Amino acid sequence: MNKLFPTQEIGSLAKPRWRVKGYRGEQLSAEEISEAISWGEKLGIANLKQFVQVLRAKDSPKRRKAIREWSAKFAIKFFEKAGLDVVFDGEQWRSEMYEHFIRRVAGFQFLGYVKSFDYRYFNKAACVSEPKYVKPIYLEEFLFTKQNATKKVKVPFTGAYTLVDWTFNEYYEKKIDGKIGDFTRRKFEAKREFLFNLIKNVIRPEIRNLVDSGAEWIQIDEPAATTNPSDEEMELFVEAFNETVRGFNCKFSLHNCYSNYKILAKYAPELRNCNQLALEFANRDSRQTGTGKIRTGYEEIKIFEEYGFSGNYGLGVVDVHSNFVEPPELVRDRVLHAVKIVGDASRIWVNPDCGLRTRSWDVSFQKLKNMVLGAELARKSLQ
Amino acid sequence: MKTIGCYLTGILPRPEGLIETTRAYERGRISREELENAFEKATKEVIKVQLSAGLSYVIDGMLKWQDLLRPFTENLNGVSVGSLARWFNNNTFYRKPIICSKISCEKSIVKEITYIEFLPKNIPWKAILPAPYTFAQLAENQHYRDKNELMFDYAKILNKEVTELADIGFQHIQLSDPALVYQPTSKSIFKDELVIVKEALEVAVKGVSAKTCLQTFFGDFTRVLPEALEFPVDYLGIDLYETRVETLEKYDFDKSVALGIMDGRSSLIENPSGLAKLTKKIVKTIYSSDFKEMFVCPNCDLEFLPWKRAKEKIKTLGVLARQLEKELYE
Repeated sequence: MNKLFPTQEIGSLAKPRWRVKGYRGEQLSAEEISEAISWGEKLGIANLKQFVQVLRAKDSPKRRKAIREWSAKFAIKFFEKAGLDVVFDGEQWRSEMYEHFIRRVAGFQFLGYVKSFDYRYFNKAACVSEPKYVKPIYLEEFLFTKQNATKKVKVPFTGAYTLVDWTFNEYYEKKIDGKIGDFTRRKFEAKREFLFNLIKNVIRPEIRNLVDSGAEWIQIDEPAATTNPSDEEMELFVEAFNETVRGFNCKFSLHNCYSNYKILAKYAPELRNCNQLALEFANRDSRQTGTGKIRTGYEEIKIFEEYGFSGNYGLGVVDVHSNFVEPPELVRDRVLHAVKIVGDASRIWVNPDCGLRTRSWDVSFQKLKNMVLGAELARKSLQ
Repeated sequence: MKTIGCYLTGILPRPEGLIETTRAYERGRISREELENAFEKATKEVIKVQLSAGLSYVIDGMLKWQDLLRPFTENLNGVSVGSLARWFNNNTFYRKPIICSKISCEKSIVKEITYIEFLPKNIPWKAILPAPYTFAQLAENQHYRDKNELMFDYAKILNKEVTELADIGFQHIQLSDPALVYQPTSKSIFKDELVIVKEALEVAVKGVSAKTCLQTFFGDFTRVLPEALEFPVDYLGIDLYETRVETLEKYDFDKSVALGIMDGRSSLIENPSGLAKLTKKIVKTIYSSDFKEMFVCPNCDLEFLPWKRAKEKIKTLGVLARQLEKELYE
């Protein structure tokens, strides 16, 4: 990008009610339809008549597919209308980041729900045979987005380390059983074999497909990156990232949030071909304007710098867990504060901490618009 | 006379029906009473499974516990419920206890949350509580001069809790202490700290008539050796999936152990014969003289598994204990 502080989104956007119910095959209420239309008008979506026909139609595979496509179209326009420079479809195509991927790969079986926290659970799979690439995972979604977007496109891609860390490793643990006596070693070696087989058999073929179809930028999402902060595990994570991106003619970035950045910072310089680290900071920061000491949430950029990370930062300036709409001046000051630490304005990109899926469209839209205004204020103040 | 016991060491997964109910409750679709009924039904089920597996002690399953610390986080005076934080190296989260002022407690925390009325009379009961070190380490201290001060205040409250539990009939009290051994990024061993940990444990179990166990998990038990051999508890719990067995075998134990030999974080159902073989090998090396009593158990809570798998693991645990008892007598 030629301009300073380009703006981007990170991943998910909430699914509107008409998308959720419609995709489930349910009929929509008049209120839900009018809510859909009002967003359609606000975003300047073409052919709204046709859209309403789809919403009112009876359930069929064709209607479900159409609903998914319309919601992707809405989300792309949503980001573009908010003024972002780099967009995707708000992951309207995906159920979520884990299950969507695993369900499209052979070798896995879902075992049921396990606790995430409180009364929240996630459906956890086991790897039961060698993972095999049977069909594209994100390709169709990417092609649709590319066709419908006018801005630059970035593909969010769930990283191999996270997929492995969130999956029971039955196949490889069984395979290695008896070969290594020590349980600790056995589990680690089984994890390693699982990880690199997944990368070789599934992840790289999918990236190959995306790149051959014109993907220019892939964001590897690794929320689990620092779950196991030991040196051995962190080295495994770095090796997995490097092997994932090796040799492709494509830009890669890494997104990680709500993690231990002290640990990540230590290993960040070892990530090869990682153009940008998109990180969460706003969540930890004060809401007052200003730069300097007040910006407590951005302290850890210093650690990345001290360890020698030389790539770009995707600076999280919008808290995705709160309805507080960051004023443009606050966004500006967060950006300017980061520039002071990094010393090179061209290394700073601007984005929310993470995907906005937990916020309403109204709140998300205001937050993103202010983010774009804040980036513009920061640009002006440096001129 | 040797005894090989077996029991569970933490929060059990919620059975599928209960998961559905808790989700419906969260979405405001059912009443508090319906939720309570579902917890009761599921508790009876997880107790039944332990009985039919032939475990030596029974727990109520701790299905209501949102995390190991939560009953304390929610009920202690001076503590507020904080934001989510990662539960060690798991894809599971707990809420941080925020220590705002001196902690105290007038209530009976664990007694209140436990389904004592469903525990069968013909088998001894076991209760599980967070150990002083783990509580203090995982809390966010905004009041005490240091974490040790907090640890001792918590240990005093814990003593009241475990005394009460022992008085109403719990014969085994486990203090869960993952933080003591989970040190993934530190090379040094906190030898000085272990002296204080021992003192806090003394406060926690003082005068308690039940058997006590310090159950460690998610980390290498040999980090706290040999000091842990002097801890004022009857049993020491060891996570064999994180502990270097070769190092463990260099020590001479005169204390009973609870071997965490079943992997609560793997869905694979273990082969009891393989586990029996390993248990015998460990027992033979760590006890130079004969041992009196030991336990085999899961290395940690089973809540990381779907209930169906946990159920199979519980059955396998019973099989393993019986096989060991038979083979060690021969």
